Amino acid sequence: MAQGEKQRSVLRINLDILNAVRDEGEAKPTHILYRANLSHERLVKYLDDLTAKGLIEMKQEGENRTYSLTPKGVSFLIEMRHAESFVQGFGLAI
Amino acid sequence: MASGALITFSLNIMSALVALLTSYYAYKANRFVSSSVLWAISIGFMLLGIGLVIDAGTSLISGRPLVEITGRTAGESFSDRVLTLFASLTYLTLQMVAYLVIAIGYARSTYGRQLSTAAPAAAVSTALVSLYSFSILSYFVMLILLAFIVFQGLLLRSGHGGRFSGTVLLAFVLVFVAHCVLLVSVLVLGSGLFLVGTAVQFLGFLSLLVFVLRSEVVGPG
Repeated sequence: MAQGEKQRSVLRINLDILNAVRDEGEAKPTHILYRANLSHERLVKYLDDLTAKGLIEMKQEGENRTYSLTPKGVSFLIEMRHAESFVQGFGLAI
Repeated sequence: MASGALITFSLNIMSALVALLTSYYAYKANRFVSSSVLWAISIGFMLLGIGLVIDAGTSLISGRPLVEITGRTAGESFSDRVLTLFASLTYLTLQMVAYLVIAIGYARSTYGRQLSTAAPAAAVSTALVSLYSFSILSYFVMLILLAFIVFQGLLLRSGHGGRFSGTVLLAFVLVFVAHCVLLVSVLVLGSGLFLVGTAVQFLGFLSLLVFVLRSEVVGPG
């Protein structure tokens, strides 16, 4: 495990994944994996978790699998951006 | 009502609203982040807000015009004074506890958890001293706590990759300066200085309001 990854909180990792999915629109797992800097095994675990929470949804077309944000995921990201801005203002990190 | 009292009342009410708003945003952010510092900020600013509302109420009572006061019975005047005294003590205590909670939050974040039991004991022992001394001492304690918070802010801003907002730091610096002025006003019993201190404190809360509104609109960079 990379040193940077060890220091990231679960929330931070989830945010990195959600941001990657948002930026791609319909994101392939390899792109998310690259952006979120995770091992494949861990990425699958996080993606399953976020799907179960209704923040992202998976689309399967043949061999291709893509992920996109749900409306709930979009509003969660907006709320998180505000929370992150507030938290950073007081010198804290997520 | 005297104009000075009206200004004090208005500034304190507006400062209280900003403090309560900051407390709410800290509470909201804490639901996502679960940080002890955010919890401390939320509780601390809530106490500050309540204290400022109480102080605003006190300024209304103590700022009544002479003609209204002289029209009252001795019993009513006495109960007014007792109420004012009680409200002032409550305000000072709430402020001191509020800054203590915020300072402990930052201390726990920076130095670990061993500081959390010693600090409240200091606040309790402070409450045992006499009334006038209590005012002066509580201002001293608040100054020390605020200086600590400002110091933590500077540390977080300058090192460890932290991004303590300049607006928040300015707010704490202004509140610190305000308490310096308020302490002097208590020492020399100057009402003009008290008004200046309240105005500077309001500017601090105004700075905080700018930060809260900006973070709500813009989001992180």
